[in-house]
Amino acid sequence: MRMIARFRSWWDAIVHRARVDSDVENELQFHMDAYTQDLVHSGVPLEEAARRAKVEFGQVHVQKEKYRAAIGLEPWHELGGDIRYGLRSLWKNPGFSAVAILSLALGIGATTAMFSLVYAVLIHPFPYAGADRIMNPVLVDQERPQQYRWFAMTAPQFQTFSRAKSLDGLLGFTNVNMEMTGDELPEDVSLIYVTENAQAFFGVPALLGRGIQPSDSAEGVSQSNVAVLNYGFWRRHYGGDPGIVGRNIQLDHKNYSIVGVMPRSFAFTGAMDSGDIYLPRSLLRDGISPQVTRPWTPWIKLKPGISVAAADAELQAVLKQFAKEKFPPYPKHFHIQLQPILLARAQGSGSTLLLLFSAVLVLLLVGCLNCSILLLARGEARAHELAVRSAIGASRWRILRQLLVEALTLSFSGALLGVALSWWLVRLPLKLAPDSFPPQSFVWINLPILGFSIGVALLTGLLFGLGPAFRLSRPNVSRTMQSKLRRFGSAAGGRTLNALISSQIALTLVLLAAAGTAVGAFLQVMNIPLGYDPHNVMGLGIVMHWNNPRDWDGIKSQRDRATFIEQLRQKIVSSPGVLSVSVGVDATPPYSGDEYVFETLGKGSAQEERARIHRISPNYFSTLKIPLLRGRLWDQTENMHGDSVAIINQSMARHYWPSQSAIGQQIRIPSLKNNWPLIATSPDSGGWRQVIGVVADARDDGLAGPVAPAIYVPYPTFMEPIAQFQIRTQGEPLALLHSVRTAIASVSSDQQVSNGAFDLEDSLTRDPDWSRQRLFSILFAFFSGVALVLALVGLFSVVSYVVVQRTTEFGIRIALGAPRRHILWISARAAALSVSIGVALGLLINLFLVKLLTRWMNSTGHTSGALLYVTLLLIVCAFFACLLPARRAVFIHPIEALRYE
Amino acid sequence: MGEPVELLQGILEVLVLKAVSLGPLHGYGILLRIQQISGNRLEIPQGSFYPALYRLEHQGWIEGEWGESENNRKAKFYRLTAAGKRRFKSETEKWTEMTDVVGTILAATLAKP
Repeated sequence: MRMIARFRSWWDAIVHRARVDSDVENELQFHMDAYTQDLVHSGVPLEEAARRAKVEFGQVHVQKEKYRAAIGLEPWHELGGDIRYGLRSLWKNPGFSAVAILSLALGIGATTAMFSLVYAVLIHPFPYAGADRIMNPVLVDQERPQQYRWFAMTAPQFQTFSRAKSLDGLLGFTNVNMEMTGDELPEDVSLIYVTENAQAFFGVPALLGRGIQPSDSAEGVSQSNVAVLNYGFWRRHYGGDPGIVGRNIQLDHKNYSIVGVMPRSFAFTGAMDSGDIYLPRSLLRDGISPQVTRPWTPWIKLKPGISVAAADAELQAVLKQFAKEKFPPYPKHFHIQLQPILLARAQGSGSTLLLLFSAVLVLLLVGCLNCSILLLARGEARAHELAVRSAIGASRWRILRQLLVEALTLSFSGALLGVALSWWLVRLPLKLAPDSFPPQSFVWINLPILGFSIGVALLTGLLFGLGPAFRLSRPNVSRTMQSKLRRFGSAAGGRTLNALISSQIALTLVLLAAAGTAVGAFLQVMNIPLGYDPHNVMGLGIVMHWNNPRDWDGIKSQRDRATFIEQLRQKIVSSPGVLSVSVGVDATPPYSGDEYVFETLGKGSAQEERARIHRISPNYFSTLKIPLLRGRLWDQTENMHGDSVAIINQSMARHYWPSQSAIGQQIRIPSLKNNWPLIATSPDSGGWRQVIGVVADARDDGLAGPVAPAIYVPYPTFMEPIAQFQIRTQGEPLALLHSVRTAIASVSSDQQVSNGAFDLEDSLTRDPDWSRQRLFSILFAFFSGVALVLALVGLFSVVSYVVVQRTTEFGIRIALGAPRRHILWISARAAALSVSIGVALGLLINLFLVKLLTRWMNSTGHTSGALLYVTLLLIVCAFFACLLPARRAVFIHPIEALRYE
Repeated sequence: MGEPVELLQGILEVLVLKAVSLGPLHGYGILLRIQQISGNRLEIPQGSFYPALYRLEHQGWIEGEWGESENNRKAKFYRLTAAGKRRFKSETEKWTEMTDVVGTILAATLAKP
């Protein structure tokens, strides 16, 4: 009851302010009138009575203040006044306000953008329920502990596994490629079969329709072919048609009914790719001819409160049991490791984001310093106003509060603008380096992020406002009021300003140096010799239809499969605009070849030797323009035969035969012998091969690292039911995609082309190394550019302020005959000294940072050149920022200067 | 009639509650009633009278409502709320006890040499 009364009076005082004010006024008026009347009754003349009433009660508006004080709203009311006063003074100094707000907005905007990226990628990357309990179990081969292995289970094993006590849920999935039929040309789609508990396991509601649910299982009620679409596929293929649920999609000539579309945030990145279509497991059949057991890759969700170690122990025992069965094969010594799904992301994008986040924090700090400098410089000019306020009785606290409120008004205006800016800024990293971030990280300014930016605004306001406020809230009244003394400046204020300038310059130099490192590293990656020519080359792959018995007959034997691939190759060559076509499985640079162990004849294998195995057709080198250095290539007959020959790259020749010719050496790769039913091999694929040629190095291990040793063998020696082609064209390669697809379909009408036919040149720019470096160099250049401008503005305003403050002094000096050069020097002296200290400090900090930076940015080159350039740039810019305002001092006219007061 | 008694802190509020407990009154009426009951021996500082009213209303002990005054003018009449009645009772008890205690102490001090 009493609480209600309190809230009501507060509510009324704030919301119905006018009514409350008039109530207070009316009540008082009534009182005064009644009092006057009573006085008149007792014989006082009317005028005298009215005067007395007024004297006793004072001003009406004072009464309103008393009302607010009585109900405890006075501090808020005063605060409102401070804010209004602050806004007014900002409005009256548009230049100052614009610079201050802009420098904060840039800092806060960049910080908010980075934070929202960090939030989306690291803190809250998955929309799944209990995402922190979802684990990706991997096998660690104890002989090669740095390599993780997915592990898969047969259906019965999966059943056993699901009974483990530490599991809250177990999801199984299998990636399969199928073709979408029914259109003119077949199209490849990537399917993920998931166990029917998928909807419950993920806890992510479908965007349209529903997800995969238990009723879709073999024992369930729906029992028809159902499919759920991935958001990206739905947008790409159906143009985001909202009426898609209920329509059919044809996969391998069978109709599936679309029952739902998953939301954009659901990308299921645990699998090799995020999948276009999700199907219930019951629809997946094991192969009969060829006999293939479909394994299930698990994701598990731990029960709440179960430790990873406890689950590890339980599951390890289960897996030991599985290892005794023949299929799937397990390494000799292994242990299971549960990886939180969050971890993989943190490793991938974490360091990139951390680096960018530190950069924006430095930028924010530079912005804050700038505001402090501006506030101090302006504050000295406001000393008079503050002295007057203090003289007429404002307490120190009151002045302090007002100055802080003004600083916060600035910082919140900056934050408002900054959040608007971050809207645009946050998309930049994703646009520049899409492959450095998980596909589902699309960023939204949400509540935590908004809270973050409010926090940042508050913090920055205090950070840059507190120092100046403390200094300025203690005005020296008597000195300031004797205004003749005003134009000689105070030493203490100067010292603070100089310290601020020095730190600002130092931080700017650190950012500039980081930008220099980033740009240097990017140039290095960009100019790296590739060893092959990616211009006008398309990479393209097919997956053969081994699961269809009729197609299987045509590709079952090694000879048939090689002939089929050769037929496809020749058809593609004959389409218009195509110059040459090579077959190269796992051989498309800049990441190519599978790493296998090889042996050399006559050489004891003290340790395992490894090389990257490329399976290619002989014209692979001419298609990619990789020159043959020594020896010869194999011919077409040798190619179809597959055995006995090999070509190596120069790195391999140098590494293993540094002092003798590699040509004629005998090597063999035991792993090329394989009995898996889907793989077709030549008779002696794992046997000895003679090295018949050495080719120049082409990038096979990415752009950053050195070229790895490579062995090239004829592709027919080891064929999975897939093929990959490199197609050199006359013009824009992807423009020919349709005719290439037609050519392939003319050999086998159902043969689709895998998704993601790509331009080799484009794929370079999507390379994680390449795009990361580009991201770093663009963002760092941008951040450091902004910081540089801010620092220069700070410098400029300080020197201008010194000149204005010392006008009288300069006037006297000039009148007494000081040379102009001298005036110029003394006006810029302090600033120049702070700049030098700042540069020295920045170089020192950089000395500590440089190792860290080069490691994080993955750059190997020297950066001292870049550092020299940016230091020079900073010094030259600082020179002009000091000189321009200082020149004004030179042209001071003595008479006018003395009249300046 | 001697010199006007100066008001102790907090007493004004009890007096207002007392004045209003006898029936709804407007501000000026409350002032008059207190002066009348005290036989004009109390000097009520004009500056703190209305703030006391505002505070009491804010606490929910009295409730103001606009009505017509005796000479047909709009005036704000205050009356005691239920909470105000309880408050008035407890304050009165406290005050009585206080005067009792203070009186006893003062008397005792006087009795000793």
